[in-house]
Amino acid sequence: MPVETTTYDIRHVTTYDYRFATPSARCTIRLLPVDRPGQRVLTAKLEFDPVPDECDERIDSLGNQLTRIAFHLPHKQLTIRALSRVEVLKAQTEDVRLEQTPSWQTLTDTVLADRRMNGLAPVNFLFASRYVPLLDPVMTFASQSLPQGKPIAPAALALAKQIKREFAYDSTATTISTPLAEVFAQRRGVCQDFAHLMISGLRSLGVPAAYVSGYLRTVPPPGQQRLEGADAMHAWVAVWCGNDVGWLGFDPTNGIMAGSSHVIVAIGRDYSDVSPIDGVVFTSGQQIMRVAVDVIEVPGN
Amino acid sequence: MSNGPNGDGPGVSKAAQLELDMRFEGGLQPELAALVASYRHDPDVYDELVDSKGEIRSHWHPVLEHLARLGPDETRRVFASADRHMRDAGVVHRVYDDTGNVERPWPLSHLPLVIPPEDWRSLAQGIAQRARLHEALLADLYGPQNTIAEGLLPAALVAGNTEFLRPLGGVQPSGGRFLHIYAADVSRGPDGRWWVLSDRTQAPSGLGYAIENRIALSRSLSDLFKTLCVERLAGFYQQFRSALAARTGVSDPRIALLTPGPLNETYFEHAYLARCLGFLLVEGGDLTVHNDIVYVRTIEGPKRIDAIVRRIDSDFADPLELNAASRLGVPGLVEAVRAGNIVLANALGSGLCEAPAMAGYLQGLSRRLIGEDLLLPNLATWWCGDRNARRDVLGTLGEKAILPAFGRTLKGQMDNNGVLGQTLSASDRAKIVGLIERRGLDFIGQEPVHLATTPVWDKGRLQPRPYAIRVFASLGPDGWNVMPGGLCRISDRADARELSMQRGGRSADVWVTGERPPEMTVLVPNPEDVEINRNTGMLPSRAADNLFWLGRYLERADAVLRVVRCVIGSGQDSGVSDAEDSASDRLLAILVLWGAIETTGCSILEAVESAVNSRLLGAVPEVIDHAYQTASAIRDRVSPDAWRNLNTLKGIFANRPTASSQLTDVHADPDADDSVGKIDLGLRTLSALAGLAHENMNRSGGWQFLDLGIRVERAISIARFARILTEATPGSSLAMETGSLGSLLDLADAQITYRSRYLTGPARNPVLDLVLLDDTHPRSLAFQVQKIRDHLGKIAQLAPGQLIESAEKQANTLCATLRASAPAACHSGWFLSCEQSLMAISDAITQTYLAGLPTGADDPSALSSDEDRDGSGSANTQGQSSTVTWSS
Repeated sequence: MPVETTTYDIRHVTTYDYRFATPSARCTIRLLPVDRPGQRVLTAKLEFDPVPDECDERIDSLGNQLTRIAFHLPHKQLTIRALSRVEVLKAQTEDVRLEQTPSWQTLTDTVLADRRMNGLAPVNFLFASRYVPLLDPVMTFASQSLPQGKPIAPAALALAKQIKREFAYDSTATTISTPLAEVFAQRRGVCQDFAHLMISGLRSLGVPAAYVSGYLRTVPPPGQQRLEGADAMHAWVAVWCGNDVGWLGFDPTNGIMAGSSHVIVAIGRDYSDVSPIDGVVFTSGQQIMRVAVDVIEVPGN
Repeated sequence: MSNGPNGDGPGVSKAAQLELDMRFEGGLQPELAALVASYRHDPDVYDELVDSKGEIRSHWHPVLEHLARLGPDETRRVFASADRHMRDAGVVHRVYDDTGNVERPWPLSHLPLVIPPEDWRSLAQGIAQRARLHEALLADLYGPQNTIAEGLLPAALVAGNTEFLRPLGGVQPSGGRFLHIYAADVSRGPDGRWWVLSDRTQAPSGLGYAIENRIALSRSLSDLFKTLCVERLAGFYQQFRSALAARTGVSDPRIALLTPGPLNETYFEHAYLARCLGFLLVEGGDLTVHNDIVYVRTIEGPKRIDAIVRRIDSDFADPLELNAASRLGVPGLVEAVRAGNIVLANALGSGLCEAPAMAGYLQGLSRRLIGEDLLLPNLATWWCGDRNARRDVLGTLGEKAILPAFGRTLKGQMDNNGVLGQTLSASDRAKIVGLIERRGLDFIGQEPVHLATTPVWDKGRLQPRPYAIRVFASLGPDGWNVMPGGLCRISDRADARELSMQRGGRSADVWVTGERPPEMTVLVPNPEDVEINRNTGMLPSRAADNLFWLGRYLERADAVLRVVRCVIGSGQDSGVSDAEDSASDRLLAILVLWGAIETTGCSILEAVESAVNSRLLGAVPEVIDHAYQTASAIRDRVSPDAWRNLNTLKGIFANRPTASSQLTDVHADPDADDSVGKIDLGLRTLSALAGLAHENMNRSGGWQFLDLGIRVERAISIARFARILTEATPGSSLAMETGSLGSLLDLADAQITYRSRYLTGPARNPVLDLVLLDDTHPRSLAFQVQKIRDHLGKIAQLAPGQLIESAEKQANTLCATLRASAPAACHSGWFLSCEQSLMAISDAITQTYLAGLPTGADDPSALSSDEDRDGSGSANTQGQSSTVTWSS
């Protein structure tokens, strides 16, 4: 039986303008997707302007593609273009019998009995991390969707829906440095916040949960043209659902499971593991950053 | 009064006490008996002084006899001299308390902990074994991870450990080893066997304090020190240095000691060790990575670094690949490590072994990794992630201490001191049980610690106090060397988990006795092997900038004091003449310009009070504080004598309601005005500092920058004095002008020269010639500018650069202008243009040596430099260079 797929062209352009020329700069970039269960990368490349003096690539400890660049000469502008074409399997997760996943309470002991700790081994996603403290109120909140004995997959979906229901999407309410406790208290934030929140709730109950950065295909409102560059990166959560099923994606911003509209770029313990561009520049003034993202379905499939 | 660690607990029976008393009274001479008369130790713990039969252990006899011979008064004097040594040497540590972050004197216990050689041998063997074990463990966990695959160590204990740095996975350390320095905190069990309380593999502190304790105690108890043939420490430090140097594979390697900066609690030690061992003291901002090679920015351009003694936690070492929030690290350092271009002592990520939960698995790991049983036991430890262990711990909670498994604070739930099950209230107990049941993997249960006790001197008597020793080992060419001594920390409480210098307590030297006098080793190699070297080492750019500003601050303090003294002088002539009034008004205007007083409309007394005692930004106490902080940031380059003077200076102007005893000593006349005394003493101390700099500092890089700062500040001041004191104002009389010119001569220390040259009173042209244009007068403007030009010429040769060359050019022009000018042509605009070009020179210097350094609001080096406060044109360059860490 032929597998149904959707193919996307993804263009992610980031431009930095420095008020004064920066004499040197150094960054790490995680913008290119890799092959994963359910997705295949057809092409992926990075372009830079100016051309960096140092540049190398590798796969990091969690299996993400990482590029490192450095500039030794002064420059006033930096443009990073990430271009990729990715094929995503359609409706992969619908086939899973969610109700047959193990009870969430059994997961910790299953994980602790496991002697693997490479890459996406669930034990790496069981503890507090830089952006994900374990907080009593968040634990109490999450337990509403995780009653005794409930299978993990429907429980995680319930938690994603609970977050979507009780939290307002508000791009002005938080920044990446807003502490989780504050996000929780004010009941608003963006996809990164909701992902961190869901991860915190699950981990505080002993369920391994990972942060996923990637893209979500957006559909323009009926009758309107798609706006060029108007898309953005998205974040959601991968939940470990036992040895048989492994990782499944849940999107608390939209209250759904991750499906064929989600393209994974990187997976980590939280945002700090997958930050698309981390950099240190030495500059004497302000900088302005602009980001343009396009996720376009390639017709003909 | 407390009778030992547990107070009047049930541990000490009346009968046992009586028995102790009788033994002391029967067997000891009276002076000696008095020392130990109230010594009551808990018979359930090991005591270093008294054995289980109540006898004083034989190796303590010489100590007690020595004290008895000295008698109480002499003993007090001897101990006070040890304290004075610590104070004079400026031995401090930082404490974070309610009032913020303050420096405290290092608390010295005046008695050593004496350990006989046979006891020490077993300890040293066990320590060396543990160092080998941890090295093997790190090599496995950052390599093949066999111990996890074989089930000897749960994967979660590594995965959940924030010190396990994933970016370093699979990276072989350059130099072949993860650990170069290792320490363990140990004490003794009731049977006298050594027990390990915790392992230190990240960046053990205490090596510097251990030397200072040794110096203080070996001096104050020098006879006893000789009698006991105490093992020397110097060889250990020397071996550490030479072994590390050898690991770089470079014949004459550059080794840096990387510190978080002067605000760190043990910064004193970083600076001290750097100086003792000849390492370059650097902060993250001093280092830069280029094509995976680490460089230090110096006044002579970037220089390659071969090894780093790391005193910042791994996670902060590289904001690019580790903690992005770190302002202390070096972007790109991890990549340099990966490329094998730098030896790190210790390797990034080596803190992994410190997790308390590891203790429960060490025995099995030891057998597997080094094929040996552990020689030293550690506290029995149960990791609550293990189902059986969790059940056991919850079942016996009352007999356990509960701690975070990984040593770090569990946010909002438990700090790394943990809790004692025995002391929990019912509700706390329920909460802990809930936490462990839900996420047992975050916790360990541990048997509570009962520390052995050692005597301390308390008001003429000896008292037992709980202690632990930090024992150090360093990697030699073929194996581990254990330092024959250590840092003994003594608590005033019984609970080991309170043993932290942050929480009070004191520290003692550890004396390992020998049978015969040890061979002398000192911190220098065999004199025959030393090659002649006139290079005094590299000067990091940031240090250069700090030296420059230290010079400016000291000179500014001097100038303010001179102006204030002049103001007092002008007032003392009873203020009858207009001339005096006019001069003092102008002097006050200078103080206002500097921000030392708020307004010229105040009395002379008020002005003096404000300039000498207030916390206004330009008042002497603040300027001295800035000088002190700037010097703190280059502590490794400040000589002990200079440091003592800086401390004195700080003490003089510290705000105290009453005159200190120190000041009273100086005043011959008890009625003398306190402020006047401060001014005199301040000026005298400043000239002592100037003298030290002039006579004792090597003339290579560092001195030039210090002197440059002094010259620039003095030149600006002189030009400014001349401008303000000679400014023509409507209605000013000749008498007024004469008064002001007299003040100018005073400020330029030129009265004597002037009188020897001219028979008339002060007249405008001759005075200006002397204080501005005469390059033979060491306080004249021309003299300063010549010095500035000379310094800049030499500095620009070291590493040519646009900015510094333009500064040199400006200095040349200024020099020529001064040579060509006649006093009559020196008017207000002329002075102002001199001031402005001097400030431009200062800016160029700071920009040259600070540019490109990452600085931020929380960066300690922000203290180093400051804008010129009078706001008359000098731009603040400090804030303009910044690190921006961005994420999209």
